[in-house]
Amino acid sequence: MKIASTLEKLTQNGIKQIGEIRIQTNSQTSALNKKYTLCHWQDAGLMRELNFGGLVIHEGSDAAREISTYAEDGAYRFTKGQVNLKRGWVMLLADAEELRQALDLFYPACLGLFVAHQNGSLDVENLRDKLNRQTGMYRFARSISDAGAQDLVRKVCGPAHQCAKRILWKIDESTPLEDSEASRFNGISGDVPENEAIPLLCREACNHFVSECRRVAKAEFEQKAG
Amino acid sequence: MSIAPKPHSALVIVGHGSTENPDSSTPYFDHAGEIRRRGLFSEVHCCFWKEEPSMREVLYQVDASEVYIVPDFISEGYFTQDVIPREFGLSGPTTEVGGKTLHYCLPVGIHPHMTDLILRRAREDAPETDPAETTLIITGHGTGLNQNSTKAIRDQVDLIAASGAGYAAVLDAYMEEQPFIAEWDKLSATPNVIVVPFFISDGLHSYQDIPVLLGIEPEVGPAASQREVFRHNPHHLRGKTLYYSSAIGTERLLADVILDQISDFDQTHKSL
Repeated sequence: MKIASTLEKLTQNGIKQIGEIRIQTNSQTSALNKKYTLCHWQDAGLMRELNFGGLVIHEGSDAAREISTYAEDGAYRFTKGQVNLKRGWVMLLADAEELRQALDLFYPACLGLFVAHQNGSLDVENLRDKLNRQTGMYRFARSISDAGAQDLVRKVCGPAHQCAKRILWKIDESTPLEDSEASRFNGISGDVPENEAIPLLCREACNHFVSECRRVAKAEFEQKAG
Repeated sequence: MSIAPKPHSALVIVGHGSTENPDSSTPYFDHAGEIRRRGLFSEVHCCFWKEEPSMREVLYQVDASEVYIVPDFISEGYFTQDVIPREFGLSGPTTEVGGKTLHYCLPVGIHPHMTDLILRRAREDAPETDPAETTLIITGHGTGLNQNSTKAIRDQVDLIAASGAGYAAVLDAYMEEQPFIAEWDKLSATPNVIVVPFFISDGLHSYQDIPVLLGIEPEVGPAASQREVFRHNPHHLRGKTLYYSSAIGTERLLADVILDQISDFDQTHKSL
């Protein structure tokens, strides 16, 4: 089944959120004949008000990249799983294909990863495999200790550190992540029940985490040398 | 060149991206949007080395079983020959991976049609200048590590010099290897100089680093999208009139070069 069709089915079955985005499925006569309306989940109350309570209206998915590029404080969101998506906008989408295009911009590949995870075809890459294929200046990240990597997960990942993704990877096949708020996080922002949200999945450590591994590996090396 | 619609195939445009400069990935999305509007493919996606989605994840968001992968890169080198094939699991021009047929096209920057884009950009940025009194410099990063990284630029220099465009001289120059772009005024014998950065995006190198080397800016400034106005040509510097264009990859017609590479792939590798 196409991803857009799967998405349509999911929304029919009660899915209403992905990451920080609330998905509202409209009746055919509402919202300017647009089937879906998106906004930041914290603005969901305004979606039901006249003129969307003053939210800036975007038709179609094109604005999704611009909205998701910078946080409110102007910081560049190079990792889209960050929990600092701007508020104050509403997006009207004609059909499931437009919805899919918008969500692919807000949360790149996350729908596809979720669908693959559901049907058991998602290929998760553990941290050691990820680090072992680093080249150039990031090659040094390979030497990070397991303890250093476990500590980094607590310090870099999870909503307390602005990441809204559920970590699927381990340190290596026989070394799961130690229990922490970050390793426990289910990938769903806000207070939406699990059966009403598509979780954001982290199938491999991101570039930011690899960069942090390199920093810690260097510190560990210098500590040993000193 | 026109391309026949491929309603059952997806296009994946591969870019470098940046964890620091958001303008870096803008042209890729622009090119994808342009091609998507033409309705030639069932889907058009972007993926990146430094941004999301990664090359390892983008195929999860592709429905089609046949996928054309086009590196929106300026030259053949480490990324197009090592990184992209490794990340997608490619073993040749066409590879079956996870139930999908992946066609790997050549990078946009080495297509002969890039010559037209450079000449068009030079004419647009310096419409009043007489080519006979003008040096056209194509500039890139350059690295002693990979000769291929400068080959695309040297090829373009040869093509433009032979094109009859009439420039007094057509030169290549680089940030990190000789001839250095920082010496643009010494390299040029003419009163007018046009510098076209052979990069895909107005990112760190073309928008922030090279202007400092040229002498337009005293120090590295903010990203293009963080400035209120784009710089205005011409710049009167070092006794010459300098025109500095935006990166060649920001040209809207680069979308056509992406399609040209797909068309060339089909002619070379597929029996139609």
